[in-house]
Amino acid sequence: MECNGCEFRPELYYDGEYQIWVRVENDGTVSVGMTDLSQTIAGRILHVRVRRPGTLRPAGKPVATIESGKWAGPVPNPFDCTIEAANPEVLDDPALLNRAPFDAWIARVRPAGDLEKALEGLVTGEAARTGYCARARREDIRCERPSS
Amino acid sequence: MAESHYLDHGEQRVVIVMTSGPSTPHRCATPFYIGALLASMDADVRIFLTMEGVLLAQKGVPENLTAMKGGKKIIEFMREAKAAGVRLHLCKPAMPGYELEVEEVIDEVDEISPAGALADLILGCDKTMFF
Repeated sequence: MECNGCEFRPELYYDGEYQIWVRVENDGTVSVGMTDLSQTIAGRILHVRVRRPGTLRPAGKPVATIESGKWAGPVPNPFDCTIEAANPEVLDDPALLNRAPFDAWIARVRPAGDLEKALEGLVTGEAARTGYCARARREDIRCERPSS
Repeated sequence: MAESHYLDHGEQRVVIVMTSGPSTPHRCATPFYIGALLASMDADVRIFLTMEGVLLAQKGVPENLTAMKGGKKIIEFMREAKAAGVRLHLCKPAMPGYELEVEEVIDEVDEISPAGALADLILGCDKTMFF
């Protein structure tokens, strides 16, 4: 499923700007990653740094920072959480985020409170697809993946 | 995994004094880039546009200026810095010297500030950078 060449996965949860995706894992943790829109805006990603596991992160504070040659910015955190892990594959090869944005999670976090409540502020399914496509069209974002 | 992959910084205030402007375009992207990165690392970042830097706050200038040929517009670097949490200050006493009027100032500027505000920011911050 895609919009403007940007991959979209309806089973995931998204922030209101579609910068990040969120996936609930079987152990109650939550994986956080970048969307195809975000990796396209960033360009080839050179560095990823994640808050150290065990760190409490309030909503709005980044869980990680991303650097490309032309863009630097946060991976936002949509709810109060504790950092559980960073993805070692992404830390060693940040361009994974460009090649496979929906498979390469960046951080795994544990919501501070109730999981369902944490997800309330996110969008998923058809509503997310509509918003995701609207942003791609509004900002004329045409997703690209590097070949290597 | 290398230790450098992890972030441990506490909250700090950083002031970036931006004196470069359109006459040196290659100096105009990095302060906003590094500002965005610092803000993403929990720093409270203020970029203070003064001297020729005030021209970056003039409508039509950052929209048409790039640091390198074919590169991203400076206004995009400014907007990304703001999206990361950076606040932009414009030096009021520097404006007349560059014939910059208030109505010409881009919407991205958060505050038009007196020189005393810059003095307060510098005296109260943890780190300063000058470009």
